[in-house]
Amino acid sequence: MSSFDIDLESKLHELQQAALEAFSTAANLAALDTLRVQFLGKRGQLTALLKGVGQLSAEQRPLFGKKVNTVKAVLATCLEQTQVLLHQKEEEAAIQAQRVDVTLEGRSQYVGQMHPLQIGLDEISGIFASMGFEIAHGPEIEDEFHNFDALNIPPEHPARAMHDTFFVKSDEKRVLRTHTSPVQIRSMLAGEPPLAIVAPGRVYRCDYDVTHSPMFHQVEVFLVDKDVNMAQLKGVLSQFLSIFFGKKVPLRMRPSYFPFTEPSAEVDIGCVFCDGKGCRVCKDTGWLEVLGSGMIHPNVLRSADIDPEVYSGFAFGLGVERMVMLKYGIPDLRLFFENDVRFLQEVGR
Amino acid sequence: MKLPLSWLLEHVALTCSIDAIAKALTDLGIEVEGIDYPAASIEGVLVGQIQSMQPHPNADRLRLLQVDVAGDQPLAIVCGASNMVEGDKIALATVGTYLPGDFKIKRGKIRGEVSLGMCCSEVELGLADEAEGILILDSSTEVGSDVSAYLGLETAILDLSITPNRGDCMSVYGLARELGAYFDVPLTLKSLEKTVFDADVATPVVHIEDQDDCPLYMAQQIEGVVLTDSPQWLAQRLQACGMRTVNGVVDVMNYVMLEIGQPMHAFDRAMVKGDLYVRRANAESMKGLDERELSLNAEHLVVADDQEVIAVAGVMGSLSSGVTAQTTSLILESAVFQAARVSTVARQYGSVTEASMRFERGVDRAQTAVALQRATSLITTLFGGRVSAVEQCGDGEWTKHKIQFPISAIAKRLGIDVPESTDLVLQGMGFSIERDESTIRVSVPAHRHDVRLVEDVIEEYARIYGYDHIPTVLPAIAMNVAAPAPKRLLDHVVAQGFTQVINYAFISEKQQRLFSSSPEKDVRLLNPISAEMSVMRHSLFPSLLANAQYNLNRQQSRVCLVEEGRSYFSEEKGFQEVNQLSLLWAGEAGSDRWYQDAKSVDFFDVKGVVETVLKQMGQLPRWQACDDIQGLQAGQTAVWQQGKRRVAVLAKVSRGIAKSYDLDGDVFVAEINLDMLSQSKKPAFKALAQHPSVTRDLVFLFSNACVVDDILAVARKASGKALQDVRIFDRYDGQGVAEGFVSLGIRLTLQANDRTLQQAEVDDIAKKVVTMMAKKFSAQQR
Ligand SMILES: [Zn+2]
Repeated sequence: MSSFDIDLESKLHELQQAALEAFSTAANLAALDTLRVQFLGKRGQLTALLKGVGQLSAEQRPLFGKKVNTVKAVLATCLEQTQVLLHQKEEEAAIQAQRVDVTLEGRSQYVGQMHPLQIGLDEISGIFASMGFEIAHGPEIEDEFHNFDALNIPPEHPARAMHDTFFVKSDEKRVLRTHTSPVQIRSMLAGEPPLAIVAPGRVYRCDYDVTHSPMFHQVEVFLVDKDVNMAQLKGVLSQFLSIFFGKKVPLRMRPSYFPFTEPSAEVDIGCVFCDGKGCRVCKDTGWLEVLGSGMIHPNVLRSADIDPEVYSGFAFGLGVERMVMLKYGIPDLRLFFENDVRFLQEVGR
Repeated sequence: MKLPLSWLLEHVALTCSIDAIAKALTDLGIEVEGIDYPAASIEGVLVGQIQSMQPHPNADRLRLLQVDVAGDQPLAIVCGASNMVEGDKIALATVGTYLPGDFKIKRGKIRGEVSLGMCCSEVELGLADEAEGILILDSSTEVGSDVSAYLGLETAILDLSITPNRGDCMSVYGLARELGAYFDVPLTLKSLEKTVFDADVATPVVHIEDQDDCPLYMAQQIEGVVLTDSPQWLAQRLQACGMRTVNGVVDVMNYVMLEIGQPMHAFDRAMVKGDLYVRRANAESMKGLDERELSLNAEHLVVADDQEVIAVAGVMGSLSSGVTAQTTSLILESAVFQAARVSTVARQYGSVTEASMRFERGVDRAQTAVALQRATSLITTLFGGRVSAVEQCGDGEWTKHKIQFPISAIAKRLGIDVPESTDLVLQGMGFSIERDESTIRVSVPAHRHDVRLVEDVIEEYARIYGYDHIPTVLPAIAMNVAAPAPKRLLDHVVAQGFTQVINYAFISEKQQRLFSSSPEKDVRLLNPISAEMSVMRHSLFPSLLANAQYNLNRQQSRVCLVEEGRSYFSEEKGFQEVNQLSLLWAGEAGSDRWYQDAKSVDFFDVKGVVETVLKQMGQLPRWQACDDIQGLQAGQTAVWQQGKRRVAVLAKVSRGIAKSYDLDGDVFVAEINLDMLSQSKKPAFKALAQHPSVTRDLVFLFSNACVVDDILAVARKASGKALQDVRIFDRYDGQGVAEGFVSLGIRLTLQANDRTLQQAEVDDIAKKVVTMMAKKFSAQQR
C-alpha cells in the first residue's frame, strides 16, 4: 500500500467519524437532512472522496470501493436510526404542545326543565294512552250542566256546596270547572261507546291555604262499554299505579260517596315512603289516599244519552299535584306555583 | 262528626277494640280521620289528698305537702300554689306521667326538697287556657283513683267524615246501627220513660201550609220548667262532640240531635203568640239568634206564630222566641223539613249549622217522635215541668221504597258474586230482603234516603261484603291505538334552555291592563280569592314578569322561562279559551363561563330561539314590524300574521312595565298561539336536487330605512326559480360606511333541478339582482 492509499483510507475513516458525530447531535429532522446532503449527497463529502479513486491502481480500486460502500452503509443505518429518533421526539413535542386541561368545563348548552306537574301530567296521560285510552280536553270555563247537573249533582245537592266553586261574574250559570269530570259528559255526548278516555287538565276550587291551591290539575279517566265492571276498574288502577310509582304498590278500595258514581270507592295505596309500615306522611296508617273512583252512575250515562241498561262504565279522577308530591317526595304544595327555577330544575332531573 | 266511644257503647255493647271499630267503619265507607284519647292524655294523674302542708324551708312561696294517693306511703310534693288547705283532694301527676304537651313528670329536688310529682291546675291537664291555683276536687272523690274518670274524660273519640249521602250516620244511634249489624251485636234499646201528659197544659196547635215542604211536624209544650246549667255529664258529651254549651234546654236539644240524628228546636212559650204555622215566608224579616236580620221571601220555609216569623225552618230560631235563663215554659219542635228548602236558605245566609246539615241530608221520619219523647223526658228529669199531649201535624206514616233486580246484576256490576249471608247484615241495618232463585226484592228503611236505584243496593252489597273481595281484572279495551304524541312546541322550547313555569290563570285587573286594552273581553270571577286573582288572564306575560322578578331577586342572572296555558276572553260568540305558549328572557344572554363573553339578552337572541323552535315544528314564519301592541316597545316588536290573525309576537317589554316589576335590564317575551300554529300549513317537502349548487355573494350599500324582509323578497323575485336559498351573510355599518347607510352581504344559493348551472347563467342571475337592488332600493354594489 502506498502512503497515498493510507491517506485516502484515513480520510475515509475521518469522514465516517465526523458524519456519525454530526448525525447524532442533529437538533431536528431538517438539520439531519442538511447533514445527509452534506455527507452523502451527490455533491457531498463522500462523493468528493470517491473522486480520488482514479489515483489508485487497478487492484486497489475494488478494495477501496468496498470500503467506501461499507462506510456508506454504516452512515445510512445511522441516518435512518437518527431519523426515527428525531421523528418520535417531534411527535412528542407536538403532543405536548396540544396538551389541554381536561378538567376545564366543556362548552355546553343551557338546559331547560319541564315543570314537575307537566312531567306528572305527561307520565300519567302517557301510561293511559299506552293502555289504549284516548286523550281528550274540555273547556275550563264550564257551564253548570256539564260541571254539575249532568254529573248527578242537582242545585240543592250538598256536594255542590262542597265544591267551593268559582263563578263567572257576567254569567252566573258559568263556573270554572271544579273537576275534569265534565269531559266525561262531553266525550259521551260527542261519541259512541266503547269510549276509553283520559282527560288531563286544570281545575279550580275557591280554597286557598297551605294544603289547597285555587288552581290545580286533575286527570279524569273513564271507560264505557258493555259489561264494564268494578273488577276491571281495580285492574286498570292497579296496573297504572304500579307503572307510575315504578313498583308494585298495594291498593285498597274503601266505600265512599261521589254523586257521579255508584258504587263509589276511595282508593288508597300502600304508603310509598314507608312501604306500609307507618310513618309521618301516612299518619302511621300505612296507607295514602290517592284518588276517588267508581262505576259511572246510571243518571250520568242517561244525561249523556247513553243507555245504562246496555252500557256501563267506570271512572276515576287523579289529583296530579298529589301524585307528583308522592312520587318525587315534594313536601309542600305551594312549591309548584312559586315557580322558583332552582326548585323546578331540581325536581326535573 | 265526633263519636265518643262511651256514647256508642251505650247503644251497642261492642266488645272489640277501638282499632277494630275504626277498621269496621272504614270498611263500611265511613272515613275515620283520627282518634283522640283524652283520658290517656292525663294517664297517671291521680286523686290525691293533702295530709299535711308546711312552708318550704328555703323558699317563701313554696310549700311542702304530704299527699296520700292510696299508695304504701304519702308522697312528698313541693307545690307553688296557695289555694289549698290540708284535707283537700287534688289532681296529682305522679312521677312518669306525660302531661299534654309531652311534658314528663320526673322525680326532682326543688330548692333542696324532694318532690315526687306535681299538683295540677286545669291548664296542666289541658282543660283550660288559664287557671287560678291548682284544681281542687270534690271531697267525695275516691283517693288514688284516676282523675280522668273523675273528670269524665272519654277514653276515645272517633273523628269521622260522613259522606253527604249518609245523613243516617250523623248520629250516635245511626252509627251504632251500622256497627251493630256489622258485628252482629244487637242494639241496646233504651226504654224511654212514658211521659205523663198533664191535661192542664195546653197542647200547641200546628198548621202546615204544604206537606211537600214539611211532611211531619211534632210539638209538645212543657210548663213550669226551672232552668239550670246542664249537668256535667251532658256538658262533657257536647264538648267531646265539639259543641258549645248554651243553656240547659238548648243543650238537651243538641244532645238529642247528636244522639238520634233528629234536629230539635225549643221556643220560649211565653214569646209565641197563638198557633204555629209552617209556611213559606212573605216579604218579611226575622232577627235570628245570632242577631242578624234575615230578609225572607217565598223561597224560604219558616215557622211563624199568629204574628211573626219565629224560626227559619231547620236553620235558626228568632232571637225573641229563643230560650233564655228566664224561660219557664217551652214548645219543643221535632219536625221533618224538605232538604232543598233548608239548604237554600242555609247557603244564602251562610248559616250551615249542625241542624241544617242533617236536614239537607235527610232525617229519619221513624225517629221524629222518638226524639221528641227523649227530649221531653230529659228536660222534665233535669229541670222539672209538666208536659202537654203531643201535637202531630202531617203524616207519621210513609211508604217504604222498594227495589227489585236480578241477582246476576250484582256480579255484572262488581265482577264477583256476593254471598247470600250479606243479606243478614243489611237486614240488621233495617233493609227487608226477599230472594227467590233469580231475583232480589229490597225494601228500603226510612233512614236510607240515598238508596233509590238498583246500583245503590249493589253498592250496599259491595260495601258489606267488602271491597277487598273484588278481584283485579284488566278489561279488553277496544284499542284506539294512537301514534306516539309528536313533540310539542313546549318540548322544543325547553330544549333551548327554558324552564317551564305554571301560574294561576287568574290575575289582577291591574296586571290584565298591562298587555290588554279590552276590558270588555275580561272574564271576571264573581267570588275571587282576592282582587289579585280576580280576572282570567288575556296574556301570560304578567305572571311571567312576576316569575322573572322573583327569580332575578334570588341570584339568577339569566332567567329563561316558558309557560303553556290558556288565555280567556269573553267574546260576543261566547267565552273563548286560547291555548298559548309564552316565553320570557331577562338578564344575561352570554354568561360567566370561560368561553363566552358576558352580554345582555337582545331581540335577536329571542328571535333566534323562536325561529329555531318554529322551524322544528316545520314552520318558517315571515315576521313584520308592528308598533302598536299594548305593553310592547315600538321598534322591537315583530309579529307573524296569517291573514288578519296573529300567530305569534315577539318583542321587548316596554320600559315602564319592566320597571314596574323592578326589572332594570331589558326583558324580551314571545307569545305563540298554539291553536293557530296547529292549523298553520307546513311547507311541502321538496325533493333533493341531484346537481351541485352554486353560491354567489353580492354586497350592497343600502339606506338603513330598507327592511331586510323586503330586500330578500326582491332578491328572490330577481333570482327566479333557480334560487334555493337567500340570506344576509354579513352586515356592517362601521367605519367606511356613510351615516344612514348599511352594508349588507347577500348570499344566493342557486341550483337547477335538471343540470349543473353554467357560469354564464349564474352571472346573469347576479346581474339581475344587482339591477333590481339599484332600481328598488337605489342600492350600490360594493
Ligand atoms: Zn308511611
